[in-house]
Amino acid sequence: MLVDCDIHVGYETVLDLAPYLDPATRELVVNCGTNGLGMPSYPWYHPTGWLRNDAFDRASAAVGAQLVGQTLDRVRANVLDPLGLAHGILTPDEAAAFSILPNGLLAAHLARAYNDWLLEQWLEPEPRLRGLIVVPAQHPEAAAAEIRRVGERDEFAGVFLPGAARIPYGSPVHDPIWRACDDLGLPVVVHTHFEGVGIAGPVTAAGYPDHYGEYHALCGSGMHGHFASILCHGILERYPRTGLMMMEGGLVGFVGLTWRLDTVWRACRPEMPYCVRPPSEYVFERVRFTTQPLEEPPDDALLAAALEGLHPWDTLCFSSDYPHWDYDEPRQTLNRLPAAWRDGVSHRNAERFFGLPAAIPA
Amino acid sequence: MSRRETPELRLRLADAPAPGERRMVELGGHRIGLYRVGEDLHALADRCPHRGAPLCSSGRIATGIELRDGRPVLAEPDTLLRCPWHKWDFDIASGRCVVDPRLRVRRYAVRIDGDEVVVSLRHPAR
Repeated sequence: MLVDCDIHVGYETVLDLAPYLDPATRELVVNCGTNGLGMPSYPWYHPTGWLRNDAFDRASAAVGAQLVGQTLDRVRANVLDPLGLAHGILTPDEAAAFSILPNGLLAAHLARAYNDWLLEQWLEPEPRLRGLIVVPAQHPEAAAAEIRRVGERDEFAGVFLPGAARIPYGSPVHDPIWRACDDLGLPVVVHTHFEGVGIAGPVTAAGYPDHYGEYHALCGSGMHGHFASILCHGILERYPRTGLMMMEGGLVGFVGLTWRLDTVWRACRPEMPYCVRPPSEYVFERVRFTTQPLEEPPDDALLAAALEGLHPWDTLCFSSDYPHWDYDEPRQTLNRLPAAWRDGVSHRNAERFFGLPAAIPA
Repeated sequence: MSRRETPELRLRLADAPAPGERRMVELGGHRIGLYRVGEDLHALADRCPHRGAPLCSSGRIATGIELRDGRPVLAEPDTLLRCPWHKWDFDIASGRCVVDPRLRVRRYAVRIDGDEVVVSLRHPAR
């Protein structure tokens, strides 16, 4: 029994969304630039390839395509069937960049088209899959409207926000998003993506890293910023029907950060009145973390002890990140964790968080 | 009880891979990648010792970058095998992982017998 919380899917180029766009936006997307609209992307390139080699056909890759050859049949053949997934949560790839476009109205139209594309191409044909609603985070009112437009569909299990952002997600600016999620009982997934790109803040305050490897090791810092912001603003206190999943931002770093937040909360409570309990209490009850990329200490025996501060038996959920280069294979991941955690990590925690039907043993 | 013979696979020497090429074979239920570095043939298991990826069947032959006189230059061409998942490099000749010396790909013995290449499930002599 397994639930994979992070399977990336996407179009080959944003022009694939043209049939799902309103006519005015379609005209803009198709005709702007030289060959149509392009999305902002990383200034760093993975030196040996973004994707698992066996997840795409290099010869068929369209020039400019980010996530190539990612078809429903391939996801069935490479992930759903061989891993015996009860459910897979689909996360965006390039569509995560809509939130870092300067033009929030354009982002809203693109997000609407993407969600309709996702429904038609992936979610309606495959009942094991659930989607996350992509929204224009830089335009919270439009984001809330999109959540309310499709959020009651069973095919959507939550709302996706990228780690890259102009303003941390706990800020009152984002209240419309949280209110919509709360009204519909949908959780929010913050997934590391596009930090330092587009209108987003830098990866860290140190300035831009020179290498992709640096970026990849540091991208959790943006996730930490959202985590602290959401907890200190009391989002999970004020919106009791939503939840938060931190995806692909590392794990061990969140242990120390949670401890530090508890410490500062004791000293600084007057400035954060909506956070009425120690932040760690919200974390254990309402925040979930995904496994990939599971940290690799020199001795695996160090790992479980390093993670215990997150109460991983209740909070940790398996994710593979297919088809990206840092994919984690589920048996390998689960075997590196204590046996007592595996039932929760493999499926139970994700089922509860996303409201998925409980997996039935074969 | 007689000693069980180690399974062998024979293929024409003319069908052996050239440097920079790979040939997949199957022997006794084991998927094996056959490679050539210089004049020597090497047989490696199709399983990455890091996280179990299909190392040979989906990995790529690669050329390393090394420092020479303080400058990055291309190393000997096509001597590395790059894992398809996590992109860790392995030295084809030794099976050693070049970024984590604790790891080594399972290797199989290869010999030339007349105009045939013989792959067996034995470990190579060295």
